[in-house]
Amino acid sequence: MIPLALEEVSFTYPSGVTALREISLTVAPGESVALIGQNGSGKTTLARHLNGLLQPSSGRVMIGDWDTRQHTVAKLAARVGYVFQHPEHQIFKRSVQDEVAFGPRNLGFAPARVAQLVEQALQATQLSTVADQHPHDLLPALRKRVALASVLAMDTPVVVLDEPTTGQDAQGVRAIGEIVERVRAGGRTIITISHDIDFCADHCSRLIVLGGGRVLLDGPRETVFAHGDILEQTAVEPPQLVRLAQRLRLPLAWEPQPLLAALEQSQRQR
Amino acid sequence: MIALYQHRPSPVHQLHPLTKLAISFGVIVLALGLGVDWVPLVLYLLVLVPLSALARVAGPFVRTSLRILLPFAISLFVIQSLFFPEGNTILARLGPLSIKAEGVRFAFAGTVRILLMAGALLLTLLTTHPGLLLTGLVQKGFPPALAYVIVTTLQIVPQMRERASTIIDAQRARGLETQGSLLVRARALLPLIGPLVLGSLLDVEERSLALEAHVQRHNAQDQPLPSAGPHLGAGAQMVDCAGHARGDWLPAC
Amino acid sequence: MIQLRNVSYTYPEATTPALNGISLDIAAGEVCAVIGPNGAGKSTLCYTIAGFAPYHFRGELTGEVVVDGRRTVEHPLGELVKHCGLVFHNPLNQISGARYTVREEPAFGLENLGMPRPYMQARVNDVLELLGIAALAERSPFELSGGQQQRVALASILVMGPRVLLLDEPTSQLDPHGTKEVFAAIKALSQTGVTVVLIEHKPELVAEFADRVIVLHGGQVQLDGAPRAVLADPRLPPLGVSVARYTQLAHTARERGLWPAQAPLPVTLDETVAGFELPSINPSSSRPAHGSGQ
Repeated sequence: MIPLALEEVSFTYPSGVTALREISLTVAPGESVALIGQNGSGKTTLARHLNGLLQPSSGRVMIGDWDTRQHTVAKLAARVGYVFQHPEHQIFKRSVQDEVAFGPRNLGFAPARVAQLVEQALQATQLSTVADQHPHDLLPALRKRVALASVLAMDTPVVVLDEPTTGQDAQGVRAIGEIVERVRAGGRTIITISHDIDFCADHCSRLIVLGGGRVLLDGPRETVFAHGDILEQTAVEPPQLVRLAQRLRLPLAWEPQPLLAALEQSQRQR
Repeated sequence: MIALYQHRPSPVHQLHPLTKLAISFGVIVLALGLGVDWVPLVLYLLVLVPLSALARVAGPFVRTSLRILLPFAISLFVIQSLFFPEGNTILARLGPLSIKAEGVRFAFAGTVRILLMAGALLLTLLTTHPGLLLTGLVQKGFPPALAYVIVTTLQIVPQMRERASTIIDAQRARGLETQGSLLVRARALLPLIGPLVLGSLLDVEERSLALEAHVQRHNAQDQPLPSAGPHLGAGAQMVDCAGHARGDWLPAC
Repeated sequence: MIQLRNVSYTYPEATTPALNGISLDIAAGEVCAVIGPNGAGKSTLCYTIAGFAPYHFRGELTGEVVVDGRRTVEHPLGELVKHCGLVFHNPLNQISGARYTVREEPAFGLENLGMPRPYMQARVNDVLELLGIAALAERSPFELSGGQQQRVALASILVMGPRVLLLDEPTSQLDPHGTKEVFAAIKALSQTGVTVVLIEHKPELVAEFADRVIVLHGGQVQLDGAPRAVLADPRLPPLGVSVARYTQLAHTARERGLWPAQAPLPVTLDETVAGFELPSINPSSSRPAHGSGQ
């Protein structure tokens, strides 16, 4: 398990657009972090620095003891797994299980280990029953889970998820939430990029709010959700229950139990 | 930049789209018909480049045509100079391999032909409003649906390039090595081409649906557009084909 | 405006029908949301109303589909699309690329209808105004944000003056800001009297914008009614449909006597706030739990 560190990272695209401005932050092993903010705030640019897809224009990115500039993306893939938003951008094998085995094979694991990792990843994503099917015969929502499994099977200490819940129905969102919890319980670091603030509130204990290429807020949920004014700057609405608590002038809560307890207390007082 | 068309006030832009298409094809036929290796290069440099300058699109014209050419040129030169079957004149040796003059010449001829063909079509696309091209084709009796698909697909070529680079990123993030020896690069082809082909098929399917929703066809008796089918059977088959083909020309992944 | 009588539809080469015996009446001017899990037949329902099934997809259609007085099987698709517009989730694939500016893009459909130019321009201007993109008229559609592009796609359907508009998850590819923009546009156009069928996953958006909610599951209509009734229905979670967190919370609160037992469950933030601020709550009247899948 390894820590991540961004040290005064700035990044400017060749087009001249500066997407990150002197960002410094560290993520400890086993943290579950959400990157939130409107489109263009720098979330994806930041995440793509973690596995070397982008290199900082200035500053540096450390993945454990590795400086991303000194390792290829293919090497960094052993430490940081990255699940892209659209599974269509990666799926090319003719069966789900071959697709999932592609990553661990690239990392040079022994066949027995590959088989074991594939099985675990398929189980974690509830895809064991469709292991032999063609990924393109699955519904798009399930295909997204194939992409997730194919990165989980690489057994990286860090996993980045880009918009994991788009296009998912209620059951799909729940399944992905369970996967995140399971990966967390295994001690791996999870970094989720998402517009689904309710999902982030459920599964990420730390939130990093980006706007205009800077970190606007960084902290545990209670701190971040308390700053509605700053969230608004980057077009983020607090979770439904937080908004409810605020409207009812109750203590901030994003889970039902504390909110219900607060409601009970306030009604008793009346 | 996403669409190819460049809006400029120029005499080339004023020409009728079909005139431009005819000139493009005329230049191509001339170049290929003469069968002399250097003719296409001369036509490119002395006809197409000046025309693009006249149309004020010389920059994008040269940049884009070279970008299209580069992958073809590299593979032609590597493969033909080393493996040209009738090559006897050895220019240089690389271990067990040798570079043969006949192969280099063959590769040069192929490269400049591609350069000319790409350049001739590109010049028309860069200087012709896609709507005018579409109208021009349809007026000459081209089936409207087919004209639409051709014109809009040509316009989204740059979009394809963006998709290709995302796919490369996604596969590198899964540990795929894309830099290094020829063998390493060859291995990387299938994971890149598979999603590119499939994604484009999905797009064509969606675009043809959207087209039907927007366009009242000129002739109601037209057949519906060819469809990849709701379950993308055709797309899956294409990938299967790619998978089968792999055994023939690539080492197993 | 839309009538379906015992409609079933099976895609070519599929073994099970995607729609299975659907009967529906959607009145003129209604905004009707269709919800349901993935694979429930929501998109297929739209394709069937629009005539794309079986016209485009082939396959087998039984029963009767009548839209704006026309039986879909008796008219060519090219004529049906004039009266019934369909908008998809990916804006980029709906922009023709055959036009250079936002103003020209919607005109593309009108030219195909052979409309006179001055009338066409006035109409395009009206629609761009309605959807809040008039200021973007001279920009290229390719350089806009997703929410803006989706409104351009919507505009090019609306200029044809359809009486029915089918929206298939129009905001699933957009960020919250883009989603808001598109829903504001949908609200504006629904006030012009167009009949709207909207596929949407998010219950809080459905609650805010729909007059009626239909729940599909396994190609059949499972629930159908006003948003207040359907979105708070305890049968939703077992059908694989998400319920707003407000609704879930009020449900649990009712079991604990914190929500008035006789009051319906809320489906929007405002209703929830109003309900919890009610002074008189009788804890002894708490109801037994039902729909515990939440």
